[in-house]
Amino acid sequence: MNELELKKLWQATNEKLEKTLALNSINQGEISQLKVVHFISSMKPTKLFALITGIIWVGFGTTFLSHKYLYAFSETNKYFLFSASIQVGLSAIALFVYLHQLITIYQIDITDTILKTQKKLARLKISTLWVTRILFLQLPVWTTFWWTDVMFREWNVVQWLITGSFTITFAFAAIWLFVNIRYENRDKKWFKLIFNGKEWTPLIKAMELLEQVEEYATDIKPETNAII
Amino acid sequence: MNEKEQRQHFRNIIEQHKGILFKVARAYCPNEDDRQDLIQEMMIQIWQSIHRYNNQNSISTWLYRISLNVAISFYRKTTIRSNKHTTLNEQTEQIPTEEKTTGERQLNLLEQFISELKEFDKALMILYLEDKSHAEIAEILGMSVSNVGTKIGRIKDKLKTRFSQLKS
Repeated sequence: MNELELKKLWQATNEKLEKTLALNSINQGEISQLKVVHFISSMKPTKLFALITGIIWVGFGTTFLSHKYLYAFSETNKYFLFSASIQVGLSAIALFVYLHQLITIYQIDITDTILKTQKKLARLKISTLWVTRILFLQLPVWTTFWWTDVMFREWNVVQWLITGSFTITFAFAAIWLFVNIRYENRDKKWFKLIFNGKEWTPLIKAMELLEQVEEYATDIKPETNAII
Repeated sequence: MNEKEQRQHFRNIIEQHKGILFKVARAYCPNEDDRQDLIQEMMIQIWQSIHRYNNQNSISTWLYRISLNVAISFYRKTTIRSNKHTTLNEQTEQIPTEEKTTGERQLNLLEQFISELKEFDKALMILYLEDKSHAEIAEILGMSVSNVGTKIGRIKDKLKTRFSQLKS
């Protein structure tokens, strides 16, 4: 079968399809009133929920900690205070990531070229990695917030070895994961192990799509200015 | 343009160019129910973007951009649904071979080939089958004309191989 026959076959079938597929389920006149959540705005509720929850958490944390810093600094456990401050600080950074994602969602132009729009959408999805990295960075502070001065005075070497090894391991893991959880490492075994699961499928799909965008963009000469 | 005129304009566009929506939906969405949802999402996007159409591109280029952008994103979403729906391949397999004409068989082969393509290759294939010029394809996808030629050449080679494999 040659090219021309192939094109004719495709086009003829489409004509048939057009006739049989009426727009029954879609009332064009009512389209503007349809309260359907389309694919871009469908991303918004989750992000909005995360943003609101984050604002409440960071707001509460900041108020509580500010009060401790300003009025009860001397009597507050410093290990708890600094650990909690780091945790709230990192949550605030995650909040900015969510805010950035929301702004990007509103900026996406669906009428733009396919590669440009899909690249933006894929990058948006992949930026979720930042949140994961920040969450991992919080790991060590969960091992230090309960420390007290009494521990330093009364604990023996064995107790310190156990506690210390936990904190050091968590700190090392947190920093390593923060540095290495990147799109570039998507093919590594450990990466696939962490991001193995249904909830990560959209992220993995976005990465695959970005790979395709890059593959398509590779041959493009800079002067064409066609993409990105 | 007031809202009434805008609605009329929208209706005219859809009526005249609904083929674009159907073709794209057909290539990206083998399941009939999902396809209706996809077409509806495309229409919503067209309605929401209609005020921004500025004649800079032809209306078909503009519509192809919207429908392909929606389809690629929608396709990603539907494939995530843990293979809930049947694939195009499965659908074609269910049809008894003896009832098919040669044309239908060839179309099935073509559809099977398209369904196996990656998202952007699929878009390129649709535009190529629609007889769009390389310049138009480049404008829709956002790549250089020379790159369009290279990519189409590669897909055509794949198509030839696939056709010979499937036939045998």
